[in-house]
Amino acid sequence: MRNRKTTLIGAVAMGILLLGACAQGTDGGDAEFGGDLEAAELTLMGFSDPDEIGQTRWDIADAAIYPAHVRPSEGGFDIQAFLAANSAGNPPDLIYFNRGDFIGTLASLGAIMPLDACIAAEGINLDDFNQAALAQVTFNEQIFGVPEFNQVQLTMANGDLLAAAGLTLNDVNGSDWERMTVANEALHVVEGGRLAVIGIDSRIPEHFPLWVVSNGGQLVSDDGRTAMIDTPEVLEALEFALSLMDGNNGFADVMSLRDAADFWGEGNQFATNAMGAFTMEQWYMNVLMGATPDIPLAVSPFMSRQTGQPIAFSTGSSWAIPVGAENPAAACRFIANMVEVDSWMAAAQVRADRIAGEGGVFTGLLTANTTADRAIRDAFIVPSGSAVWDSAIAAMYTAADHHFFMPPLPADQEFRQAWVDSVNRVLQGTMTARDSLAQGQAEAQRALDEGWARMEDRD
Amino acid sequence: MSATTTHDTPPASTKLSRRAKLRSIRQRLTWRQAFNYLMLLACSAIFIYPFIWLVSASFKPRGQVFDNRLIPDTFQPENYLTVWQAAPIGRWLFNSILITALAAISVTISSGLVAWGFTYFQFKWRDRIFGIVLATMMLPGVVTMIPQFLIWSGIGMVGHRAPMSGMMPMWAGNLFGSAFYIFMLRQFFRRLPRDTFEAARIDGAGNWRIFWKIAFPLARPAFIVTLLFEANAAWNELQRALIYLQDSSTWTVPRGLASIVARFGAGGGGEANWELVVTAAVITTLPLIILFFIGQKQFVDGIATTGAKG
Amino acid sequence: MSVSTIEGVPGVSPGTPVSPEKRRLRLTTKRRNLIAAMLFISPWLFGFLVFTVWPMIYSFYLSLTNFDNINAPRFVGLENYQRMMEDPRIPRTLSNTFQFAIMSVPLSLIVALLLALLLHKATMGTGFFRTTFFLPRMTPPVAVGVLFLLLFNGHQGLINQLLGLFGVNGPNWTVDPFWVRPGLVLMSLWTVGGTSLILLAALKDVPKELYESARVDGAGALRQFWSVTLPLISPQIFFVFIVNTIGALQTFSEAYTAFFGGGADAFRNEGALFYSIHLFEMAFRNFRMGYASAMAWVLFVIIMIITGIQWAVSKRMVFYSGDS
Repeated sequence: MRNRKTTLIGAVAMGILLLGACAQGTDGGDAEFGGDLEAAELTLMGFSDPDEIGQTRWDIADAAIYPAHVRPSEGGFDIQAFLAANSAGNPPDLIYFNRGDFIGTLASLGAIMPLDACIAAEGINLDDFNQAALAQVTFNEQIFGVPEFNQVQLTMANGDLLAAAGLTLNDVNGSDWERMTVANEALHVVEGGRLAVIGIDSRIPEHFPLWVVSNGGQLVSDDGRTAMIDTPEVLEALEFALSLMDGNNGFADVMSLRDAADFWGEGNQFATNAMGAFTMEQWYMNVLMGATPDIPLAVSPFMSRQTGQPIAFSTGSSWAIPVGAENPAAACRFIANMVEVDSWMAAAQVRADRIAGEGGVFTGLLTANTTADRAIRDAFIVPSGSAVWDSAIAAMYTAADHHFFMPPLPADQEFRQAWVDSVNRVLQGTMTARDSLAQGQAEAQRALDEGWARMEDRD
Repeated sequence: MSATTTHDTPPASTKLSRRAKLRSIRQRLTWRQAFNYLMLLACSAIFIYPFIWLVSASFKPRGQVFDNRLIPDTFQPENYLTVWQAAPIGRWLFNSILITALAAISVTISSGLVAWGFTYFQFKWRDRIFGIVLATMMLPGVVTMIPQFLIWSGIGMVGHRAPMSGMMPMWAGNLFGSAFYIFMLRQFFRRLPRDTFEAARIDGAGNWRIFWKIAFPLARPAFIVTLLFEANAAWNELQRALIYLQDSSTWTVPRGLASIVARFGAGGGGEANWELVVTAAVITTLPLIILFFIGQKQFVDGIATTGAKG
Repeated sequence: MSVSTIEGVPGVSPGTPVSPEKRRLRLTTKRRNLIAAMLFISPWLFGFLVFTVWPMIYSFYLSLTNFDNINAPRFVGLENYQRMMEDPRIPRTLSNTFQFAIMSVPLSLIVALLLALLLHKATMGTGFFRTTFFLPRMTPPVAVGVLFLLLFNGHQGLINQLLGLFGVNGPNWTVDPFWVRPGLVLMSLWTVGGTSLILLAALKDVPKELYESARVDGAGALRQFWSVTLPLISPQIFFVFIVNTIGALQTFSEAYTAFFGGGADAFRNEGALFYSIHLFEMAFRNFRMGYASAMAWVLFVIIMIITGIQWAVSKRMVFYSGDS
């Protein structure tokens, strides 16, 4: 009897769940934007422990949605937690993540709202935005996210080591690969069988797209439908970036030396003269400025081998609103205020004041809002009296004008995993570059095909 | 079984020589004991070293975490304050302690009941059904992970507005027993002398009374083992925490630790503040060490009498 | 056996002749017992049906669908299983996982047994030693993963510094895809405390008289261990062997924290890409819940086969004291 009863309960539970499982994912996003807001507590995923730039704008944006307010959150964006919240029927009102990671996928799955109505209602001025950043959140001709920060990669080198080896920035900034090979050989030092000084760190896999574009290739077609991972340009780029690793006693040695360095502190690889040059995002200049302002830093934009022009891969964060969010109107107004020129200016003011108090140099701020960038540069960047930092800051702004980008894809993560792992396999010596890229191409193309098919099925 | 059947009792005439033999054995034993302790100390040094390394690293400034010194060059106890202020570790500890206690207690009681059901009673297909219990141990957690999530969220137990702020699914599954403990406890129950229960039955005790008043107290060591094993498992559970706990105010220690690694470690967004990661690890391990130190005697004695036999 | 244990029908002594009127009574006793027994096992029964059987059925159904976790599952038949056969990562991750298990399970068993033997002989400070050996078990796996990265770093890690004392130039444990698994195995040895305690308990259970008599018979320590200890604790060894194997085949947290928790374009050590990690990424990073369910089912079948083989082999090797 008891037995039958439990079975019955089980069956009922099962029925309820099956219904629940089928019911989700159907409600569309016809949210109303603009107008008066009601008191509510908005939930958020992915934005946490802001610095002064984040906190200043947060305070402004949170005040702007009064009587609603946003509940602060802990930790970075965790897709597993988001999916779980989503399928439990309580998605957050706001999500914040790296726009290259999920915009295309979440948009194609119908998990985040198109924001065109939100942008219109809150008067977000799209002309203010960096077009590369905007393109990264535009999927199927609709805007699904509002980009916030912007990042560029620069060549950062140790001027003393360069000079000692009779080299200049032009030998290490990507413009001439033959000269880079020579420079790498001259700069690196091996002691007792182990790498002691890295010559040039090509920073693959994370900066691989930079090398590819520098060589005139691309990883995916502009329309996001065709993977181009096994093209000769990509192969050559991989082989060259790998040869720099090999020239440094092998990738494993580079990686463990990198892991062991006090990257963020006084013992960083420039201060200890443990590295000739590498490619790095611009924000690292802030770190170096804070930790070791007197290092012999030499900065140049990364140069295209093919065109000789500066290039930088646009990356950065973005705001989005999940389908099913309870307070989309308030969420939208919050976002609008976070990315407004005035908010950025207020935040930059706070930072500039802090740095001035510490006697440092304000190294500028790159956002996805070009109007704000210009205003910040005009208002806060003054000659610092240090040629090193002035030229570094100038290099950053030059690079910021030469963005390229990867379009959002309906399988962002899977596509990226395909090329990242192609590079990893080669770095670890488990496959030849050609075979590995071929496997990556097959995986990436299938991911794209299925992603687009999945999206078209949904419509 | 009879322990002495393999060996014949020696005749009386050999008694003297036997005593002499034992004495020489004893002398040899002291040397052996000394050697044994030396080995033990060496081993515990190896085992405790990484932990001491961890503790010592938690007092170092960032640049020195890797220097492998046991006594920090620069002593920086502020790490503890920094971590404590940077993240709601107190809250996480509280959640973890609550969930761990509920998980351990509920699994102990439920598994005890079930194990008793499988030991004391004889019914059709009992051993076959028990075979199914054992077989479920082979089932990887990932098979049932998603559907179980759908069940919990289907009955409104997920999300910070749910009962217990959505922490129920972290432990409530334990109300239904767990194969490993059911097996362990049954092994224990099987060795209890039947006469005790027969006597109680004749005195008119019902099934419940026999379990609750006689079997349960007798099985105390085995229950302590179950409690401690499950406390250990529940304390370290990460995967479920990642799925079920969406609001940081409901996070447990491992979930919080994972976010600390992401935030302060070397990965995305982190600044390689390993000293802070390490400090958080130390703080979050301490409660369990204390618990184990208190319970360790009964713990081992408990295992001894349980004898997890296959 | 000297004491009769409680197995059997309560209230009925074996071999007692049953009189006709008692038979009716016995029947009702039997029924009442059945109901009581069912009540006792009902928590498990309910949990089994709701939290095991139904999830198994549902996950098998999911394995036959395309399910992205957001939109409703779409039935695709055996496509996921077919794709698994073409996925080059499946053999790769399986091989990684097996290599890890083959190294870690026997090694940790041996180490655990040695520790248990040492502990068994000790009379003083046992609490301290037990706590010491169990300590690593209480360190959260996330922390163990971090500790691995720090201790096994090729340049400044403690392990290579120690090796350096002996003039050995240690490998880049955390980066080299060949050395990462041995590194993780060494790290896993650190957490054998739980196994060790189970074996210690088994040792305590071996009757002392057996050693006395063996000693008097002139058996040396090694001989005693071989012919008395080992057979008597073989059931427990077998038990932890099976449980640890199942655990090793699902290894996740440490390697995940160390290598895969970071950003998507960070360096990922292919040598540490275990089956469970691949499964997890398929489910949550690539939105392929159906495929992940198929992977989970395949893992289940693999575990069943391996456990079955272990079971069959053990029948020849395990000594059950209760058997004739």
